[in-house]
Formats: sequence, C-alpha cells, structure tokens
Amino acid sequence: MVVIKKDDFISMQGIQLSNVTKEYFNSQNDKFCALKAVNLAIKFGEFVGIAGENGSGKTTLARLLNGLLLPSAGRVTVNGMDTRQRRVIKEIRRLVGMVFQNPDNQLVSPVVEEEIAFGPENLNLPRQEVNKRVEKALQIVGLENLRQKSPHMLSGGQKQRVAIAAALAMQPDYLVLDEPTSMLDQTGRRRILEHLRKLNRKHGITIILISHNMEDLIGADRIIMLHQGRIAGDGTPWKIFQRDDHTVALKPPNIVRMAQILRKRGYRLDQQITTLEQMENGICRLLKSTT
Amino acid sequence: MKKMKLGSYTPGTSLIHQLDPRTKLLSGLVVIIVILVDNSWPVLVLNTVLIFLVLYLSKISPKSVLHGVKWLWIIFAASFIAHCVCTQGEPWFSLGPLVVSKEGISRGLATFLRLLILYLCSTILTMTTSPMKLAGGLEALFAPLIYLRVPVNQFAMLITIALRFIPTLIEEAETITKAQKSRGAPFASPKKMVRLKTTLAVLIPLVVSSLQRATDLAVAMESRCYTGGPHHSRTKNLCFGRYDLVALAVTVVICISGTIVG
Repeated sequence: MVVIKKDDFISMQGIQLSNVTKEYFNSQNDKFCALKAVNLAIKFGEFVGIAGENGSGKTTLARLLNGLLLPSAGRVTVNGMDTRQRRVIKEIRRLVGMVFQNPDNQLVSPVVEEEIAFGPENLNLPRQEVNKRVEKALQIVGLENLRQKSPHMLSGGQKQRVAIAAALAMQPDYLVLDEPTSMLDQTGRRRILEHLRKLNRKHGITIILISHNMEDLIGADRIIMLHQGRIAGDGTPWKIFQRDDHTVALKPPNIVRMAQILRKRGYRLDQQITTLEQMENGICRLLKSTT
Repeated sequence: MKKMKLGSYTPGTSLIHQLDPRTKLLSGLVVIIVILVDNSWPVLVLNTVLIFLVLYLSKISPKSVLHGVKWLWIIFAASFIAHCVCTQGEPWFSLGPLVVSKEGISRGLATFLRLLILYLCSTILTMTTSPMKLAGGLEALFAPLIYLRVPVNQFAMLITIALRFIPTLIEEAETITKAQKSRGAPFASPKKMVRLKTTLAVLIPLVVSSLQRATDLAVAMESRCYTGGPHHSRTKNLCFGRYDLVALAVTVVICISGTIVG
C-alpha cells in the first residue's frame, strides 16, 4: 500500500477532472458518450451537489471519482493521484468513500458491526484499529444500539446510515453519495441529509451529493448541473435556482419557487432565499414594513 | 421489524455463540461424519443428547428451530415410513398389504434421528455464528489448501455473501410472487404444468434481479478496497479458548464412546 502523508499533498488536495470524456459501447457497438470533455475541480472541504436528469452522466461522473470507471480521454486526479495508475487505486478508493442508491445491494455482511469493519479489514489494519474505527463510525451516524442487528431488519434510512458509516470507517477525505435518498421516505431522507451536513461542517469531510431532487441540494455550498454529459451550470444554490433556462428541466425547490412567485406578484423579497428560515425572515420583514 | 428467517444468524451472548467458529465447524463435522459412518444406537442416542444440549446452551428457542420448515418434517416422516414398510424382517403388524417389521421401525427411527442431527447441526451452526466469523473460521481451517492453489479466501467470502443474501432473496421472491398473483398468475391451478410455468414466472425475474444485485454489490465491495486477498485481521481475530477445548473434547469423547459401545 502506498502511504501518503497529508502534508505532502496540500497543494494537490482536491479532485480534479481535466477534459474528461467517457464513452460506452453498447451491444451493437454503437458509441454512447456519457460525459463530454468535462473540466471540474472539487476543493477539499466543500459540500458539492451534482444535479441532472436521468442519463445526464451523474452516475458515470461519480464512478470516475474513485476509479471504478476510467476516463476514455482526459485525466481524473484525487489529491494529485491519477486514477489510471494501478498502484495508487487502493489509496484512492480509501480516500473517496462511496454510498450507492440501493441500500440492500451494497451491504456485504449480515451484521452491522461487521459491515462497517469490512473496509478497514480490507486495508489489513490491526484489530484494535479496526474496532476503534467501527466504534467511531457507529457513533457518528448514531447507530450504536443497532450494532448487533442484521441489516435486513433495519429501515431503509438506517441501512443507508450503515452504508455511510462503512464508508467513514475508511477515514475518507471525500464522500460520494449517488442518489442516497431516492429509495427512502421523508424522515429517512431528512436524517441522511442532516448527517451529511454534520459530516461536512464538523468532521471536515468533502461531500459530493448526487441527486435529481433539488430539495436535497439546498444545503450544498455549490451545485453542479449536468445536462447530456456536459456541465450546464456551476455555482451556489441561489445562482443555480435562479436560472430560468429550460435546457435543465429540474424543478427548483418549493421555497425558491414560492419566493419567485411572491416576487412576480410584486412583493419585494430582496434577500437570497433558499431555506425555510430565510423565507421566514423575509416574510416577517415584509409584514413589518407594510404595517 | 421483519420476521427472522430460518437458519439466519440470531445475535446472542450464549456460550455456544461465543465459541470459536473453528470449534463449531470441527465439532459439527465430527458429529456428522460419525453418525453417517456408524448408525448403531448408542452413537445416535448420545449424539442426539449432545445436539439437544447444545441447542439448550445456545438459548435459541427450540420452537423456532424445530417448527421452522414444514417440508423437512414431511421428508422426515416419509423416510421413516419408507423404512418401516420396505425393511424385511420379523413382522410386527400389518396394514392391508403393508407389513411393518420391528427392524423397519428401528431403522426408520435411526434414520429419523440421523436426519434430525444433520439438520440441527447445520442450523445451530449458522444461527449462532455470524457469517463473517464463519467465513473467518473456514478461511483459517482451510488455510493450508492455499498452497494447493485453492482460492480459500474468495470461497469464504462467497459463503458469507450467500448467507447474507438468503433473507433478501426470500423477500424478493415473496414480492415477485405477489406481483404475479396480482396480475392473475394461476399459482393455485389444479394442473401441475400450469403451476410449474407459474413458478418459472417467479424464478426468472428473481435470477435477473440477483444478477443486478451481484453487479451492484461487486461495485460496492470494490469501492471499499476489496481485492479478493486474505483477511488477516479477520482470521487473526479468532481466539481458541478454554471453552473451545472443553467443547471439542466433549464432542470427541461422546463420538468415540458411542462407537466403542456400539
């Protein structure tokens, strides 16, 4: 295993995609281009949302980040390491944790605790270290009292938290989540999003959250819109939600749409509104100014 | 909370749960070999007592183990009856053309006990040993085979995953069955061919979805640095203690004494 000290790579920290193209061939040998010349830099510590319709290349992008897929052209580097170099691939996969859409299909073990230990065990860490990491990961996602349970007895949201804990036990710098909430109910979805925010703010883990539901991405620092394999937009949630073009057919969150409607009706909401609290403040100010 | 599926791991802290998986695997193997090789009464009775003692110590509810599989009881009963009727010997009583001999009864009972022990051995093993530990135990026991280029590590992983997915696949089969029923699939048709075809309508989607699951799982495992290599921390974590020694000794003594007396 390649040991890389964090300090050596300060300058190279982050994930860089330069001119990345990914092509697939289907059974008729037709070429299908999932990503076209994408340039993207994700900084360490960011909370990035990636949005796009089905077939826009979101999943392909996610799988390029930890070397599950290799680019047909261009280069993907994680903390300066190229994903095409075989000898660093294990380190890259440790650095970039992945959580997938279907909670049932990503859990290996029938016991929560062992599930979380699977990753560290693959790194061949000593037992005490594995146990320590399992403990910490359980604590972060708040599943200490379910450690002996079998995943198939848990709810979808709990399973997804197990999957997150399993990724955290590898002590990653980046956590890539490919539509982690799409198979969950409202409560499960909200809790997962809360956990992600906490991981980002409190534990300094870079979050890359992929979703086709804009509501999920309100809390992100930055949203990247994908459309037909190209980046169609990149900016703060506010900037992305303001766009009025119909190339990107995703609905902005309800709060944002409500603010837009109020503005159209002539109410002067001057601040940027993306969250419920901001809306509350905005309306309160409006009411005060009219009375 | 969903119902526990039969034979799947039931977490616990009993003595049997805490035994080293290698102990359980070895003892189970010894018991199974002995009852298959030697079907004299002392061996069978002693081993039956042993297996029920283990069942008691494991604190698994006997009901959940013994009532679990309806089909198994039918097989038990069928083999018992077949032995009663088909064994030649001193007639005991007769039902019409069927003559039941004393030897038949005795051999039928013996077979019943053997099947019961086989079933209990494997069920108690999987119910008290978490699949990861089981895989660790197998990996450690079969480690010498690595020199013969047998992929022991991958094989152990394979068993773990198979055990992990049994409940998931049962659930999936139930869902598909319901889906097909709601579209009018004739599961209760009196014609056997129709029922067979209907079963196929469940099996094929099940296989297709398992393949999808397998692909997803492989990607997820790869993302977590799985390379098919040995799990040092998993195998090293096993610890063979005093209780294991006692358990192994008890098993061996019971098996040997049974054979000697028999």
